[in-house]
Amino acid sequence: MTPQEPIFMNRREFLLRAGMGLGALSAGALAESQIASPLAARAPHFAPKVKRVIHFFLNGGPSHVDTFDPKPMLAKHAGKPLPGEYLRTERKTGAAFPSPFRFEKYGRSGLEISELFAKTAAHADDIAVVRSMYAQVPNHEPSLMLMNCGDSVQSRPSFGAWTLYGLGSENQNLPGFVAMCPGGMPIKDSENWQAGFLPGAFQGTFVDPQNREVRKLIENIRSPHASAEVQRRQLDLLRELNAAHRSTRGDDPRFEARIQSFELAFRMQMEASDAFDISREPERIRAMYGDRVHGRQTLIARRLLERGVRVVQLWHGAGQPWDHHDNIEANIRKHSADIDGPIAALMADLKQRGMFEDTLILWGGEFGRTPTVELGDAGKSKLGRDHNHYGFSVWLAGGGVKGGTVFGATDEFGFKAVEKRSSVHDLHATMLHLLGFDHERLTYRHAGRDFRLTDVSGDVMTGILS
Amino acid sequence: MLRNSVTLAAACAFFLAPSIGIARAPEDAKHWAFRPPIDSGVPTVKDATWAKSSIDRFILARLDSAGLQPAKPADPRTLIRRMCYDITGLPPTADEVAAFENAAAADADSAVNALIESLLASPRYGERWGRHWLDVARYSDTKGYVYSREERRFPHSEAYRQWVIRAFNEDLRYDRFLQLQIAADQLVAHDSPDLAAMGFITIGRRFIGVTHDIIDDRIDVVTRGAMGLTVQCARCHDHKYDPVSIEDYYALYGVFHASNDRLVPLATVADAELAKRRAKLAERMKKHREDAAARLRARVGDYLAAQLELKKYPEEGFDQILAPDDIIPASVRRWRDFLHVARESTHPIFAPWLAIAKIDHAKFATEAGPAIDALRGTGKLNPLVEAAFATTPESPADAAARYTKLFAAVAKQEAPGAAELRAFLDDPNSPVSVPDTGIANNDQFFPFNAIEELWKLQGDVERRMIELRVPSALVLVDGAPEPNPRVFKRGSPSRPGDEVPRRMPEVLGGADDAPFKQGSGRLELAKAVASAGNPLTARVMVNRIWQHHFGAGLVRTPSDFGLRAETPSHPELLDWLALRFIENGWSVKAMHRMILSSAVYRQQSAGVPRAEKDPENRMLASFPARRLDFEQLRDGMLAVTGDLDIAMTGPAGSLTDSANRRRTVYAFIDRQFLPGVLRTFDFANPDIHVAVRHETAVPQQALFFLNGTFSAERARSIVRRISDGDSEARIQRLVSTIFQRAATSAEIAAATAFLRAAEAGFAPPSPPVKSHWFYGTGEYDDATKHLKNFTALPHFTGDSWQGADQWPGGATGWAQLTAAGGHPGNSLQHACVRRWIAPADTVIDISGTLVHEPEPGDGVRAFVVSSRHGELKSARAHKSKVSLEVGSLEVKAGDTIDFIVDIGGTLNSDQFLWAPTIRANSGAWDAKAEFGGPRPAASFLAPWEQFAQVLLLSNEFAFLD
Repeated sequence: MTPQEPIFMNRREFLLRAGMGLGALSAGALAESQIASPLAARAPHFAPKVKRVIHFFLNGGPSHVDTFDPKPMLAKHAGKPLPGEYLRTERKTGAAFPSPFRFEKYGRSGLEISELFAKTAAHADDIAVVRSMYAQVPNHEPSLMLMNCGDSVQSRPSFGAWTLYGLGSENQNLPGFVAMCPGGMPIKDSENWQAGFLPGAFQGTFVDPQNREVRKLIENIRSPHASAEVQRRQLDLLRELNAAHRSTRGDDPRFEARIQSFELAFRMQMEASDAFDISREPERIRAMYGDRVHGRQTLIARRLLERGVRVVQLWHGAGQPWDHHDNIEANIRKHSADIDGPIAALMADLKQRGMFEDTLILWGGEFGRTPTVELGDAGKSKLGRDHNHYGFSVWLAGGGVKGGTVFGATDEFGFKAVEKRSSVHDLHATMLHLLGFDHERLTYRHAGRDFRLTDVSGDVMTGILS
Repeated sequence: MLRNSVTLAAACAFFLAPSIGIARAPEDAKHWAFRPPIDSGVPTVKDATWAKSSIDRFILARLDSAGLQPAKPADPRTLIRRMCYDITGLPPTADEVAAFENAAAADADSAVNALIESLLASPRYGERWGRHWLDVARYSDTKGYVYSREERRFPHSEAYRQWVIRAFNEDLRYDRFLQLQIAADQLVAHDSPDLAAMGFITIGRRFIGVTHDIIDDRIDVVTRGAMGLTVQCARCHDHKYDPVSIEDYYALYGVFHASNDRLVPLATVADAELAKRRAKLAERMKKHREDAAARLRARVGDYLAAQLELKKYPEEGFDQILAPDDIIPASVRRWRDFLHVARESTHPIFAPWLAIAKIDHAKFATEAGPAIDALRGTGKLNPLVEAAFATTPESPADAAARYTKLFAAVAKQEAPGAAELRAFLDDPNSPVSVPDTGIANNDQFFPFNAIEELWKLQGDVERRMIELRVPSALVLVDGAPEPNPRVFKRGSPSRPGDEVPRRMPEVLGGADDAPFKQGSGRLELAKAVASAGNPLTARVMVNRIWQHHFGAGLVRTPSDFGLRAETPSHPELLDWLALRFIENGWSVKAMHRMILSSAVYRQQSAGVPRAEKDPENRMLASFPARRLDFEQLRDGMLAVTGDLDIAMTGPAGSLTDSANRRRTVYAFIDRQFLPGVLRTFDFANPDIHVAVRHETAVPQQALFFLNGTFSAERARSIVRRISDGDSEARIQRLVSTIFQRAATSAEIAAATAFLRAAEAGFAPPSPPVKSHWFYGTGEYDDATKHLKNFTALPHFTGDSWQGADQWPGGATGWAQLTAAGGHPGNSLQHACVRRWIAPADTVIDISGTLVHEPEPGDGVRAFVVSSRHGELKSARAHKSKVSLEVGSLEVKAGDTIDFIVDIGGTLNSDQFLWAPTIRANSGAWDAKAEFGGPRPAASFLAPWEQFAQVLLLSNEFAFLD
């Protein structure tokens, strides 16, 4: 850690610098030990619109022309090559491949959404679709890194880690950043939620919601060798020994920080078990989300967000389920059906709890797919679509987001973003903005440089802000 | 004392400060760190009696000037604990403490000196200090993310780690230590064990083979690791703050680009299988290289034409060809580089092309003729080339096509000039060849299928080497001579700019007119880095040594000595130490001796109030208390409980394996799946060079100690060892073994009260309830409708029965049974079987629901089978639920009911839920509620074990005065 300012600060100074003012003090919210804790809640640069983020990550690359970016021109050219030169994607593609799905206008805004997300579409007036996203290369690995960490290849902290660095967490008894993925890890594994050069405490905690037993969800969350009563007695003795230890050694806040960490751990055992246990939800709520794994992980996510977890990422599944190279019609229908209901349920649920206004929802993958059909060996159509980083869609909803908006556009076929082209850095800048940060000032000194999530570029997409 | 704990808080607040740009100025080169160290002489101090060494005079001079006093010397117990943990990473034993206390009472200085010598002579020293270097070297045993075709473990990491540990133990000169790590291939014999040193460069992340990023990582580890110079910042543009230009970056880029990786065994192993795999790899590599080269030779014109539209070809790393006949972008770039050099003179073969390529498209018709004419008859052209260009080409495409034709005909020609053309085709460095570098460096020349095959064969070799634990080194060797590197504008390889010779950064004496001359220049780089004349290298290392003795360096950014680094707390001392380091033959141990014997190191820490003038204790008016790092904690616990295995060799164990009691430095470090416990404890991130570890206190650390098996095992172990004597004597012995001091009366009282309460609340393990459930694997016989065999699953984790400690593992692979369900083994032979044995003659009802959720794969098959009646029920479940109920079944005592699940057809996403219940008039047996391991009650810690665990978890154990 290499701050340029003198490292020593007293508590008052810290609070002032962290923008908390002394009001936070009078509320008694911050104990000395929490200041030493990397996850202690901190205020951002300016008043935030949202306090927490949930990211539906459709890993593999969801097709935009089949979901949120209708392209009627494809039907006109169906089966024929697109005019002009093809952009280079990972594999060879052939004729224009119109979407087999019906698009409709929803809500007062008339936002066009395909039948694949008909349930989500009930919330169309809350959704801002960015149709002009672009990434850098047509390969999963670098694009996942770009979308998550703002850099295609280098080990950089993820969006969630940056957010924890900036804001801390509102619940010290739970990990501040949770990544859930049913059945195993996505491509690039834990690099997707890495802390990079930031402290390890900011790394996302991976949870496989396929496990139904809480003890398997979080490492060491239950003791196999002591009851809570025994542990309480142990911690009381520990406190006594630690007090004696400190009495002859002066006031080193590290001593207290470590003492507190045991008390926090003790409480975390209960709180985490509770947070992950959806059987505590009323039947009505569970039915809303559905009893399939995606419903369960979305409901767990809501329970976590409600308890102050800062960032939750919900991956679709191990590997890259949304990588629809073949037979996209059947596969995308299946995968959309997995999450359409849970997303709609979450949006409704957040609204009824008054959480929608300060939660940011992001939907998207690492890139989109070609509007042309992918060709296999010998030029035979595979009825699927290849990767497309030239143009794709994501959407945002929640606090500070102007619902019912379409931002930017791809060309008439959906191959390339042409209007209001939006980089992943623009997206990150916008998300940080909603969280109350100037992305150019959320920096961390490492290896002689002040790094930021958005590297050296990025503009807030003001057009989607309310 | 506040420093460490608020460091993070400060950094967290740091983003609020505006970033300050410092304009580059010529005087940047005059920054203290870029000037040679100055011997300013040992300062005079007011009270010379305190000082035990010259170091002390530097410290005292600054304290004097601030009007501060040094602290009293630490008591001998504190000092020996400090020194042992510091030098060896392990605590002393109670006996060692007592002996030292006695010796110190007689003569403190000689006791300390004797202790220094014995600790530095211990092999444990290299394990501790080697680990500090492994942080710098971003050590990992795996490559990071790789495609499934590639072996993910490094065959050579273990040898590198061993080499580093040995180098510290043997006090290898630090300059030699660095040189070997950068250029051992050019310094030692081809079979020297010192080749392992090059792991320093080659254990970085592999970045799925993207050359630019691999090289970037290597530049970083060398420049920041050895010199505290952040050259990496100049990848895209000149360094914002330091005098490092983008040219400096690419000068070093060129050094590593001209070096190829080569995996070499460091011992001869007579293994027929390995030899076979190597031969197969070599044979297939040869074949694919020849095939690719043949395609390149046949299409010279196409590659020339490609030069006119270079932008069409993707950059390195994203340039995989799909079909064998595709133009190979890597070869296009080789042609580009070749022609770039060829244009320097009139090239006998390619001068006509070069002349044509220069012509603006619009002016081709008028300028092509004169350009070609100018070359004809000069005697400089190859006669066949001259003949081919007897007429002026109509277009660049026509010119290119003439080359294809020319080379196609040359094989059989005897005409003058033919030999020269053939020589071009046969030259291993020509752009029509495929470099003989191994798949890690030449995969971009092959079509997809060939790459898959070659990586698989390479993986076969690597796996065999790992299996046999063949010590090996991944070395760099100079490849074919390459043209000078070119600056990539904004870091983009698709925007090559000016050429720059391979050389040192200018601020360190590099100059365009004094470039490296030998091959890649790597040996010259190594010598320039590890040189007494380099103003940074010695300073950076003595600062690292200081950092690990005092918790912070004299410069607190140990890998950044640039303009934005703070001024050293004691600039003259830093220089003085650097000069002594060089003078003493770069001996690291000599530096330890100087520091450890000083009065400043031997000061007290506990209870010294922090001076207002120096709240961070930069002036060292007392010794800064330290929190043990993860290695010291884990190794220390193993040591005090008598469990430490000090074996220095053997396969790397897993940190999650409770049977692994070796020192933490020998644990397997998987950068892609770094164990949560390491991350939690701020272990050095193995992806990046780490100069200072973070120091956080998070509840996950406490959870590891409270709930993990590690500390519980330690507590059990020490209580087993200290099991006799009355209660007070036992308390005394536990305290003395763990803390190496006597227990206070208050502690004895607290412990006695704790033990009393714990005994009262502790139910002695009830005799294990006889369970009627058993857990195993077997094969279901479709023909006879019976289970063919039943083998008990050997391992219980506390949550599940399975084949081995790791899951999947053992012969049965994925087979696992949990309270609620499980997973079948890998094949139909290893169905998982939950067995119930009837305790008495009775009539039972069986109920339960089989649930299979995942979409992938084909689901599972389930059977309920009675030993008396055969198959009772069967079902297949895939993304579905099936109720499996049997009513009114007669059983005799000892009959078995087996609940069998196998993989159905394929092993893919076969986890299931199924916990049946059996009911009879006499009672019920619930598979879920009664699920358990072999000794359910005994797994609870007994009162003494609870007490011992508390001692191990205490702050006194975790902090060092």
